[in-house]
Amino acid sequence: MSNSFIPRWAKAGATVLALALALTACGSDDGGTAVEPKAAKPQSLRMLYASTEADAAAVEAILPAFKKKFGFELKMDSQPLPGVQTKAFAELASNSSAYDIIIVDASWMPSLVGKLEPLSKYINDPKLNDMADTDFGDFIPKVLYDTSVYQADNIIAQYPDQSKVPDAKAITEAGFDIYNLPLQANVLIQSYRKDLFNDPKQKAAFEKKYGRPLEVPKTLDEYREVAKFFTQPDKKLYGTTVMAGVGDWSTDDFKTLLATQGGNGLMIDDKFNMAFNSPEGVKALEFYRSLITDGSVPPGSLNASWNEVAASFGSGVTAMSQNYHNAALNDDVDGEEGYAQVPAGVAQGPHFGTWGLAVNPNGKNKAWAYRAMTWLTAAEQQLTMTQDLLHPTRTSVYDQVQNQTEDPQLAEFYKVMGASLAVGVGRPRLTNYTEVAQAIAVAVNEAASGKKEPQEALDSAEQNVRRLLSEAGYDLGS
Amino acid sequence: MPRPGRGGGTFRSSQRSRNSTAWVLMAPALALLLIMTIVPAVYLLWASLRNKTLLGLTDRFVGLQNYRDVLSNPDQLHGFARTGFFVLAAVTLELLLGLLLAVPLAAQSRSNNIAATLLLLPFAVTPVVSALMFKELLNPATGWIDYYMGQIGLPAHVEWLSNPTTAWVAIIGLDVWQWTPFVALILMAGLQSLPHEPREAAAIDGANAWQTFRHVSLPQLGPFIAIALVLRTIQAFKTFDAFALLTNGGPGKSTEIVNLQIYRVALQSFRIGAASATAIVFLILLSLLVPLLLRFAGRNADPEEA
Repeated sequence: MSNSFIPRWAKAGATVLALALALTACGSDDGGTAVEPKAAKPQSLRMLYASTEADAAAVEAILPAFKKKFGFELKMDSQPLPGVQTKAFAELASNSSAYDIIIVDASWMPSLVGKLEPLSKYINDPKLNDMADTDFGDFIPKVLYDTSVYQADNIIAQYPDQSKVPDAKAITEAGFDIYNLPLQANVLIQSYRKDLFNDPKQKAAFEKKYGRPLEVPKTLDEYREVAKFFTQPDKKLYGTTVMAGVGDWSTDDFKTLLATQGGNGLMIDDKFNMAFNSPEGVKALEFYRSLITDGSVPPGSLNASWNEVAASFGSGVTAMSQNYHNAALNDDVDGEEGYAQVPAGVAQGPHFGTWGLAVNPNGKNKAWAYRAMTWLTAAEQQLTMTQDLLHPTRTSVYDQVQNQTEDPQLAEFYKVMGASLAVGVGRPRLTNYTEVAQAIAVAVNEAASGKKEPQEALDSAEQNVRRLLSEAGYDLGS
Repeated sequence: MPRPGRGGGTFRSSQRSRNSTAWVLMAPALALLLIMTIVPAVYLLWASLRNKTLLGLTDRFVGLQNYRDVLSNPDQLHGFARTGFFVLAAVTLELLLGLLLAVPLAAQSRSNNIAATLLLLPFAVTPVVSALMFKELLNPATGWIDYYMGQIGLPAHVEWLSNPTTAWVAIIGLDVWQWTPFVALILMAGLQSLPHEPREAAAIDGANAWQTFRHVSLPQLGPFIAIALVLRTIQAFKTFDAFALLTNGGPGKSTEIVNLQIYRVALQSFRIGAASATAIVFLILLSLLVPLLLRFAGRNADPEEA
């Protein structure tokens, strides 16, 4: 086609556009704005954050110290779930520059990886790590690899050796990158009524009945036995809790038991093997159901989520419970809480999920956003934030907080949490994990209620999960 | 004397001027309609033919694949059926109970005014709050309902939300509690606006109270029943909070309605293409229902035809 058909103004426009594109491409290797360590300080930074779920109160408490250190303000916009997820996705989908830092949950990462700023080039540049002791190797390996380390062109892939001390260079050499810095980790732990476990009458009664001392259960068999022992419905006391209602909470319970029985707690591995539908999965559901048929959990457990479980333990209805935070007893309950890791079987793998801070690739102050993130996630700040019960993501913080706190209960809580995170198992890396988790939750609920046998429930869940993955565009092969 | 040609020109010019004034006056409303309704509807249709995700990870034309997924998925088809069952059960109960409440409250007295004001309270409560409140009340371990049922000798420890039948009773009960007053107020206003003469004539002819209500008041109330029916049906199809908070689709899949499915796919997996196809199928089903409702409303709008 002859060029004479193209108007002069269009040719000029195209030339300007081509030049602009060429200049932009030269400026950055990732197609975004260049990272300039010497960039001038902004007047302020804006951060999108999650309210209670990521302990916004702990971060808010250190914002004055941030201003003192950086000389400008960090403005936080905190929203509860599910609003914060919609907001974060909308901001990134529209390439908005409104936020410099965006909080991300581990379960969102498979969808977000292509939309977040890769951080290895920041981590490896000493000029950008000048505001805090960044010590990348201090992050709990399981937490960092699960939450932050992804392969952009193969999102389902897990980092091969998740026990290694994190090293940014080794991560990039293995073909992965880092997409956020973890800040708040939630892991399934066991809380128990210390006052009941230490009660001489209970101790004597237990020893008489079972021929062994009453102790906080460490194995699944002990757990079932102790839960049965404490159950006295006439006194409105039950042994423990289950989150067997339909929702990702029952999937979390199940995947923890699946790992405990020796199965793959991820449920679906990076080859799309349905590890949840396995002999270990059946055993996990059989055990789960036994707690209900024993009558060891309060009525209503088949519709319980973490809220009902916290309410049951808090109001003194149960002797033990499993949840993601320090389960406090209500003021009118005369008792004392203690904490322990969830019971082990042939293996361990409590479910965990972490919130991390990510640089918005469309932000105008990426260098300072990264610096702010390094300061917020540094050991010193995380330790300070434990005063507001932050769940840290660094090994050294768990060590320090246990030694520094004068509250033995808090020391025990953090000791248990640190140990649980070290052996925790995250979620499979699927863009439609919520739908998959719901399908598995239905199976868990139906098996728990006795509507279906465990194997039948898992077969049905596998069929649904395969369909959901296929609809989401995953190639499952034959 | 003006020439015909010129006169015609003036007429056409004035007509054109009137037409353009009308278009100018209508423009804001048309623009709003375009932006708020037509553009999103076209986008929905376009997105339903693609495997689009919000973040653009995939965005390819897939033809009718999303529709095939919806129509071949038994869970989704059951979701449509459950939604229909909920709307039918809840709206029917609300109309019956609303009418029962409206009849005694229509007589204007001080006590009825107080009762009518109290009646407003349930539907003034935010649906999320009422759902959370109901969940607490129904908790068999710590809830009031279980406690008082035990006190009056009824079976205690009813696991309301763990059994499919009682879960439906709870969800429909919450909707009926929340929205019956809305229906009652519409019908109450209707009853108060009815002329007295036909009822007086019926009384003179010897009709008793039931006959007067059945053959005189009820037919005249037709347009108001139709309004309540149409409004509540549309609202009931949009119900989400009660299901999400009370059961989240459980036990099993027994209360999994189509709105929960669309929410999960659209706003948690952000699979916009798949969610759009489900929404369009839902829209088609509603479009089949709306003319029936409108015909019913139209027939009842004129008491002479009722």
